[in-house]
Amino acid sequence: MKTIKDKVASLSFVALLMALTAAMFYTPTASAHGEKSQAAFMRMRTIHWYDLNWSKDEVAVNETVTISGKFHVFAGWPESVDEPDVSFLNIGIPGPVFIRAGSWIGGQLVPRSVALSLGETYDFKVLLKARRPGDWHVHTMMNVQGGGPIIGPGKWVTITGSMSSFVNPIVTLTGKTLDLETYNISNIYFWHAIWYAVGVAWMWYWAKGPIFIPRHLAVASGKASTLISSGDKKVGIIFLVGTIVANAYLMGATNDEFPITTPLQAGTMRGIIPLELPVPSVNVVVDDATYRVPGRAMQMSLTVTNNGDSAVRLGEFMTASVRFLEPNVLEDETGYPDDLLAEEGLTVSDNSPLAPGETRSISVTASDAAWEVYRLADLIYDPDSRFAGLLFFFDEAGNRQMVMVDAPLIPSFI
Amino acid sequence: MSASQSAVRSRAEAVAVSRTFDWMILFVLFTAVLGGYHIHFMLTGGDWDFWSDWKDRRLWVTVVPIVAITFPAAVQACLWWRYRLPIGATLCVLALLLGEWINRYMNFWGWTYFPINICFPSQLIPGAIILDVVLMLSGSMTLTAVAGGLGWGLIFYPSNWPVIAPLHQPVEYNGMMFTLADLSGYHYVRTGTPEYIRMVEKGTLRTFGKDVAPVSAFFSGFVSVIVYFLWHFFGKWFSGTGFIADDAS
Repeated sequence: MKTIKDKVASLSFVALLMALTAAMFYTPTASAHGEKSQAAFMRMRTIHWYDLNWSKDEVAVNETVTISGKFHVFAGWPESVDEPDVSFLNIGIPGPVFIRAGSWIGGQLVPRSVALSLGETYDFKVLLKARRPGDWHVHTMMNVQGGGPIIGPGKWVTITGSMSSFVNPIVTLTGKTLDLETYNISNIYFWHAIWYAVGVAWMWYWAKGPIFIPRHLAVASGKASTLISSGDKKVGIIFLVGTIVANAYLMGATNDEFPITTPLQAGTMRGIIPLELPVPSVNVVVDDATYRVPGRAMQMSLTVTNNGDSAVRLGEFMTASVRFLEPNVLEDETGYPDDLLAEEGLTVSDNSPLAPGETRSISVTASDAAWEVYRLADLIYDPDSRFAGLLFFFDEAGNRQMVMVDAPLIPSFI
Repeated sequence: MSASQSAVRSRAEAVAVSRTFDWMILFVLFTAVLGGYHIHFMLTGGDWDFWSDWKDRRLWVTVVPIVAITFPAAVQACLWWRYRLPIGATLCVLALLLGEWINRYMNFWGWTYFPINICFPSQLIPGAIILDVVLMLSGSMTLTAVAGGLGWGLIFYPSNWPVIAPLHQPVEYNGMMFTLADLSGYHYVRTGTPEYIRMVEKGTLRTFGKDVAPVSAFFSGFVSVIVYFLWHFFGKWFSGTGFIADDAS
């Protein structure tokens, strides 16, 4: 009986090991960037990305893609996230599958961190050069010091060709042309190999004779002083002097070869110029807002006043990069990512043109599976249960006005 | 053969066993130090050692020697006081660099395709040789800490300069000046490492104009002296064999 038990135990153990080993072979591609797991309030109440455009869906290695658009820095920035005084316009890609050939905010190149102002809107552009073939999810992204990455919408871009053909030519201010992809690599290998050989030689000198047991016995018996001979000391001095002299010489020789070098460039860039947007002539007051959990729908009661000189209609509500469109007013023609686009997601109780000077109370419902898919419904579990987003109104000529909304949100569980 | 009989029957056999033991211990020590030192160094030196656009004249020069002298000091304590072997620092640094190169080549380049010219490790071997030779010549922990520790800090920048200098050539790019290292850091996107994390060229060493590297190296050397003492004692303590009844040394 005991034998059978032992066999069962050992076979079970083998089966467990085999199961664990087999599990290691299941390694699905991780292609997203965790955007859905970011707290809903952070995506709704920090950076609002809009008017985004990815210039191409497919490029060959060495070709470029431009991502352009605008982002609004929300005035009601949450207290639990540090304000964007030190921010970095990044790009969410899985490693350097593209190189970032350039990035601009307000026309200013922003290779370093920048200071952004709350309530302002900026235009931006990121130029990417394709490097590694594959299908890559390319996100806009703003890193905020003390806040973490605030990820924007992502779109799939395909790179074709071979990475071995990628080149990154650069001309230095001293007139040298080089390929940054491979520059200095052989020099790095060479010097690391040389010094490694020197280190191994020192080790070998001591390891070629008996090491542990005889030396320990000698030390334990009070004969430690006999273990370092004058020959050892001479060899040591050769290594010591050789190392110091070689480094002094190499420092000088390197300075002769590269007489012009500069320190690394660092420091926050301030004074980034925001867009000068006209003050919206539409005024919106949020009377109340509820999120109906079973229906995946957010309902807002709004009082809208048109102070402009042409009639307007509500065409879009955008929050956390999800766009809810009113199909009678707006159709997307920009190729916005499908999963973030609710083409018929916005319902307005009375969306007839709001005449100049008119005030109307309307009920607006934004409903789509995106509330669940993008985990925005988790907003009801946030410590500060508020929502925020952009409302876009359009007049008959197609002119657009952007209005921020920010209000408490009451969940409805039944 | 009873338990009280020797496992070897001749002097030649004893020597062969001793040598086999030497290589086994050396291999185990090397790999153990590789693992422990590598983790320690990644956690403390981290990005300063990972990226070429972190290897600046101030903080890289200051931080890396200070956090890197730890294991060499501790292993020296064990190998010197118990075996009179002046190879502790070199062994540690060779192990660290082997681990780092495996990591940089297999992970940074092989998995995520960062070119090696942005993610190569810092050079530490010249400093290790200084530490080992000073210990061998002086036989003194104090002198090794003071002279060796200072030398360890001072030689760090010159020993890396032949590899770093080409990447500090200036470039004009879209109307701004970069070094090639800066440009690499900008071009080769690190989604999880925003630019503001980069701790370079910060501090108040403005009085020295452009010659801040020697000052940083001296400061690094001074602190390395202190850290050497601390970790040398750690090494002595860890290599004690007081738990063996007949060897209370």
